[in-house]
Amino acid sequence: MSEIDRRDFLKLVGAGAGAAAAAGCSDHVEKLIPYVVQPEEITPGIAVHYASTCTECPAGCGLHVRTREGRPVKLEGNPDHPVNRGALCARGQTGIGRTYHPDRFRGPMRRNASGELEPISWDEGVQLLAAEIRKAPGRTHVLGGEVGPTLSALVDRFVSAVGAGDRVTYEPFAPEALREAARNVFGVERTPSFDLSGSDLVIDFGSEALETGLSPTEHARQLAEARDIDAHPEGGARFVVVSPRLSMTASNADEWIPARPGTEGVLALALARATVEAGGGSPRHQTLLSSALAGADADAAAATCDVPADSIRRLGRALARARSAVALPPGVGVSSRRNVAAVSAVLLLNDVVGATGSRMSFLPDPPQARPSYRDTLTLVKAMEGGEVGVLLVHDSNPAYSLPRSAGFDAALSKVPFVVSFASMPDETTAKAQLVLPDHTPLESWGDASPRAGVRSLMQPTLRPLYDTRALGDTLLDVGRVLSAGAFPAGSFRQLLQESWGPGWTAALARGGEFEPATAEPVVLSEGVSRLEVIAPKLNGDGDFALVTPPHGFLYDGRGANLPWLQEVPDNVTKVAWTSWVEISSNRARERGLELGDVVTLATSAGSAEVPVYPRGGIRDDVVSLAIGQGHTVGHFAARAGDDGSSGQRGVSVLDLLPTGVDESGGRAWLTETVAVTSSGRSERLPMTQFSDDKRGRQLGDAVTLAAVMAGEPYGGGGHGSGHGEEHHGSTEGDPGHAAVQAGMLPAVGAAGAGHGEEHGGGHEVHEIREPYDPAYDADRDDPYHKAVPYRWGMSIDLDRCTGCSACVAACYVENNIPVVGEAETLRVRQMAWLRINRFIGDGTTDLVGGRTHPQENREELGETDVRFSPMMCQHCGAAPCEPVCPVIATYHNEEGMNGMIYNRCIGTRYCANNCPYKVRRFNYFDNQLTRWPEPMRLMLNPDVTVRGQGVMEKCTYCVQRIHVARQTAKDEGRNIRDGEVVTACQQSCPTRAITFGNWREKDAQLVKKTSDERRNYVALHALNARPGTQYLARVQRGKVEG
Amino acid sequence: MSPPPAMPVAEAIRSAPEPADSKINTDILAVMGRPSAGYWALLGLSATAVGAAALTWIYQIYVGLGIAGYTHPVFWGAYIVTFVFWVGIAHAGTLISAILYLFRAKWRNAINRSAEAMTVFAVLTAAQFLGIHVGRIWKSYFILPYPNQRGMWVNFKSPLMWDTFAISTYATISIVFFYIGLIPDLAIARDRATGWRRLLYTALALGWQGTSRQWKSHTRSVLHLSGLATPLVLSVHSVVSWDFASSIVPGWHATIFAPYFVAGAIFSGFAMVLTVMIPVRRIYKLEAYITDYHFENMARFLLLTSLIVGYAYGTEYFVAWYSGVEWEKTSFWLRAFGPYWISTWIMIICNGVIPQIFWFKWARTHIPTLFIVATFINIGMWFERYVIIITSLSREFDPAVWGVYYPSAAELTILAGSFGFFAMLFLIFLKIFPVIAIAEVKELAIHDKSHGHHEPAPAAAGGKS
Repeated sequence: MSEIDRRDFLKLVGAGAGAAAAAGCSDHVEKLIPYVVQPEEITPGIAVHYASTCTECPAGCGLHVRTREGRPVKLEGNPDHPVNRGALCARGQTGIGRTYHPDRFRGPMRRNASGELEPISWDEGVQLLAAEIRKAPGRTHVLGGEVGPTLSALVDRFVSAVGAGDRVTYEPFAPEALREAARNVFGVERTPSFDLSGSDLVIDFGSEALETGLSPTEHARQLAEARDIDAHPEGGARFVVVSPRLSMTASNADEWIPARPGTEGVLALALARATVEAGGGSPRHQTLLSSALAGADADAAAATCDVPADSIRRLGRALARARSAVALPPGVGVSSRRNVAAVSAVLLLNDVVGATGSRMSFLPDPPQARPSYRDTLTLVKAMEGGEVGVLLVHDSNPAYSLPRSAGFDAALSKVPFVVSFASMPDETTAKAQLVLPDHTPLESWGDASPRAGVRSLMQPTLRPLYDTRALGDTLLDVGRVLSAGAFPAGSFRQLLQESWGPGWTAALARGGEFEPATAEPVVLSEGVSRLEVIAPKLNGDGDFALVTPPHGFLYDGRGANLPWLQEVPDNVTKVAWTSWVEISSNRARERGLELGDVVTLATSAGSAEVPVYPRGGIRDDVVSLAIGQGHTVGHFAARAGDDGSSGQRGVSVLDLLPTGVDESGGRAWLTETVAVTSSGRSERLPMTQFSDDKRGRQLGDAVTLAAVMAGEPYGGGGHGSGHGEEHHGSTEGDPGHAAVQAGMLPAVGAAGAGHGEEHGGGHEVHEIREPYDPAYDADRDDPYHKAVPYRWGMSIDLDRCTGCSACVAACYVENNIPVVGEAETLRVRQMAWLRINRFIGDGTTDLVGGRTHPQENREELGETDVRFSPMMCQHCGAAPCEPVCPVIATYHNEEGMNGMIYNRCIGTRYCANNCPYKVRRFNYFDNQLTRWPEPMRLMLNPDVTVRGQGVMEKCTYCVQRIHVARQTAKDEGRNIRDGEVVTACQQSCPTRAITFGNWREKDAQLVKKTSDERRNYVALHALNARPGTQYLARVQRGKVEG
Repeated sequence: MSPPPAMPVAEAIRSAPEPADSKINTDILAVMGRPSAGYWALLGLSATAVGAAALTWIYQIYVGLGIAGYTHPVFWGAYIVTFVFWVGIAHAGTLISAILYLFRAKWRNAINRSAEAMTVFAVLTAAQFLGIHVGRIWKSYFILPYPNQRGMWVNFKSPLMWDTFAISTYATISIVFFYIGLIPDLAIARDRATGWRRLLYTALALGWQGTSRQWKSHTRSVLHLSGLATPLVLSVHSVVSWDFASSIVPGWHATIFAPYFVAGAIFSGFAMVLTVMIPVRRIYKLEAYITDYHFENMARFLLLTSLIVGYAYGTEYFVAWYSGVEWEKTSFWLRAFGPYWISTWIMIICNGVIPQIFWFKWARTHIPTLFIVATFINIGMWFERYVIIITSLSREFDPAVWGVYYPSAAELTILAGSFGFFAMLFLIFLKIFPVIAIAEVKELAIHDKSHGHHEPAPAAAGGKS
């Protein structure tokens, strides 16, 4: 054995220490490289916004794309845009993910002999397509989604120039019946558009206006403005929703009418008659009493619709009295084979209540191809018959969104050459011979016109990430190969610019051209007297009607591969990442079904196995399965397994539906009854909220309209909180105090009614403390920070909040919040900084507890006391999380915010235990490394630190936005102005429920909002945490009075 | 201060019967003899458990705490439960060594060595859970308050900070206490050992010769250390209880927590001493030293602390009801009848009901009964911490985020590993150090001889080597 001498020893020690030191700095060093040539318009660190248009649904909202160093990082609503006025829904917010999606095609591909897609060059692709079309121009067909006017015109030009066959536009949720109904009722070939502004009574016959309806963001804003309690002391517009289930829209209604699905038209007609009988409508409508309205007797309708006849007469009186009522037509979930008649009835009702021409107007059609389901089915037949040689599919995924029984898959196999322009693999590209990937919307030029008067522009906000080509350019290229003269030189962009003419630059800056369009005046047609509305007969003899509402986020399935839309839990059920079937608690109990028990749904068209979600808020004769899941293609999020390697996520309703059509060939979804049988299996549902019982606690409070009108101060219920005694100033003689002492809790009221009486009857009022001590003296208490002029805070108006989760999605994107996936959601480890609590009523304080994990569902049919309340870090003045952190990783800053230093956190998680609002989230894994595959990392907001494994995180009030405003203010030598800082959640909110501001600025909007003593309250006030965030209680307007 | 010794030291030495001395030495040192196959099997088993836990821990550090069962409202889980459990176990040793020493309860001499050893091992086991629990163990030195170039300081308001001090102080004192007590016995072992053991004991015995000057210093040290350690018995678990009591979590936020936890700690500590010493006594035939009388006394302690703990359970429920605070009431109601009802009833039955059998003398002196009851108490006390920590967190203020936590396989592996670690250290201790304090037992023997069995023991200042 060799001896080690001193020198060797020292050498070894040195080497060992060096190796250890090197190993300690494992991350390789990356250098920041400045621009060699500074691009114009880009200052590193300064965001540039570009106006564009959202394409996630046909509503056509305007965007402001926030870019940093030439890369879009956040989508925000365009405040100038008439559709969304600055707001943006959850789908719109996450649309940015399409650009950075890991599944994207990297370039053109063709299918080789072994059936695999292999990369080719664009020249090859264009030549190949041209050659195929040249073989059989007449047998070339184009199938695509709704596109903007310029692209639509180009497609038409292409079709005619190359002598192709049909061009079919297919939009799964297109409201085709509206147009037919307009023809029936008014004799015009126009699609009516609805405007809820200024209305005083809105009846939604199942359009799900606030989530997936005709224009959800716009309608939510208009409704919220019409209901604003400050502008309308009487409570503003009343909102009535007809829906077989307590959808998100119904949850926001003052009155929910759970009519039998498919009978909406019957109900609308009965309401029209009741309105006329109550003195509403014009003489023309009186004449209808003997024709169209003759059979619409309230009692008969009551039996058909399963709605009390009294309710119909009462609503009729309300409609007759209303000055500006409006009704919205049935939507996807309840569109039956008699849908045109049903929609016609709703349009007639609108005419009766005088909405025609104002709240329901018939604007000229935008100059673009209209979707047609009938044409789509015809094309499928043609494909089946081998009449289609080349099929070009763009902006659409019919292989998923057509009913399986339509046979599109088989038909597609009979088409020799299928070309897809999708930017991401989907069910249709799986069968394509050639893929010529389009840019994503953020990389594209384009325009959109959701209705006359709104012309919206799209402009690229980054250089295309991959070797993709805009559809317009591809068509131009192929067209030039085929018939050189028919297409101009230049790009699609030039075409677009030409079509926009001289206003181009201004329109680009503004996001489009918005001129009020003139509606065509219409009168009831003669044909309306022949209007006949009957309840549809559903196929099969199952016990339940199958209702198929669009998933609130996945829409027609196009959102399924965006991880955020899978991750954000459903607004109503709080289920994420999978499918569930809603069944009434009664039926579930009868059949011994509990949450997560898997049932087999069988219709005449197919069957599927789905876990059940029993709830009180659905009719006993209905089950509901949302459209959107059950994809077979889409690696990143649409399919099960975190790596997307196998299986299917949830089930697709489309497996259960036949090719239902309505009277005019439009799409009918409500066609089937379904048999529900237990499979004997059970699975856990990935959910984020299991109990909707708020146990009388101060979370999501509500006050009655009577109390608000009487101007009674409301300090929050404070039920069940002895802690509150010391500072709310109640005395020993106070009856409430005595009850608390005796351990007896006041009955909170099982339903909203009891609650209201309590507030009406001298309910004790709690002093709301400002989030900082009013006795605070800067000179004395905080000499180092005495110049600090800010104490940030937030007000959340629960009367405006619809629970739509746009804020949740916005928060995810703004703050680089990782999506944790299905497995981690099952462990309830979502990272959302902002969640929406959903409670039913005030709950019960009874001590009842199941021995198992409860799914408590307190919904009742026809009751709508739903309390949505966004919950995020409250930035407490006396934050319970702060003193317990041993390393001062969470601390109070001089602007009153609860700071979080990620680099200091050692992960004891005590702060999260001690947070009463449970808004802190812990990184159990290295989410930032594992959840952001390339190129998704490019969309990370550079202003927000990414968090590593083992640290806590939470809402920061978007402190990065405060810093931006602070720098601007500093440059201009002033303080930050009120309204200058807009948090991501506030920005996205369609109803402007969130106000952010500075408590120390006495005329700030925040201070004005929170000084509303009638409604302002602090969540869990009894804990005296002095939150910077305060809430305005929801106003219970009660059922509509007759 | 104690009265002067009743008998001069020299006389005590002279009157000590030499053969008895040898017998004590040989009996006790015999434990340290060649290990049996059974010993190796047990050691192997515990080492395996430790190995599995170590690998799990390494994996956890690598991938993150997600392999544990944490869920949104329950941010503390089995690791903290087990931490509190082992801190509790660590209490018997100091109580026996220090408090009973000060109270001159001489019967402690037969069991104090093993109890002290258990204290040290339990503290060492518990301390690891602080590291296992945190999210970023590689940054856990941030919790140490020392001047540093990072410009960082710690938050002395945080109970976790107090915890750091309490545990490290307790570990230091109990290790020093254990070692000081060992020195005379190490000298005895040194004088009889050969080979590496002789080297080890020579080094550890610090040149102990048994001179009266050395004895004087030794007894003084023990006395002073006892004085230092006594408040620690009360303070450590009080501080651990404040980890919970100083929060606002319903079910944690209670003034009763400090005495409740201290009683519980003593309860579980004595149960663990019984669980370990009953088999040790039997296997190594130490009945002459650890008598039924010792076990009976410990059973009495168990009965007393069981009553205190049971009273605390009752008080918690009473206060929850009497406060009228809805969330307190709900929390406790769901503790007993909610998703964790099994844990709660295990706790109540094992800790509150079963130990009542010790009202009967036959139960206190019937060794199998003692062993079984002690085992139940060990189980019950783990569940007590589980109930306090988990059920409270799972039903907090916002019902929208109520959730249910269950320990994962990783947590159970590490829990098993903690028992393995404790057992492994104890098994090694059996073979390296005298399991009974030889010098102190001799002291008892001399006093018994001089004064008869029923005389009150004189001051501890006397002694011999």
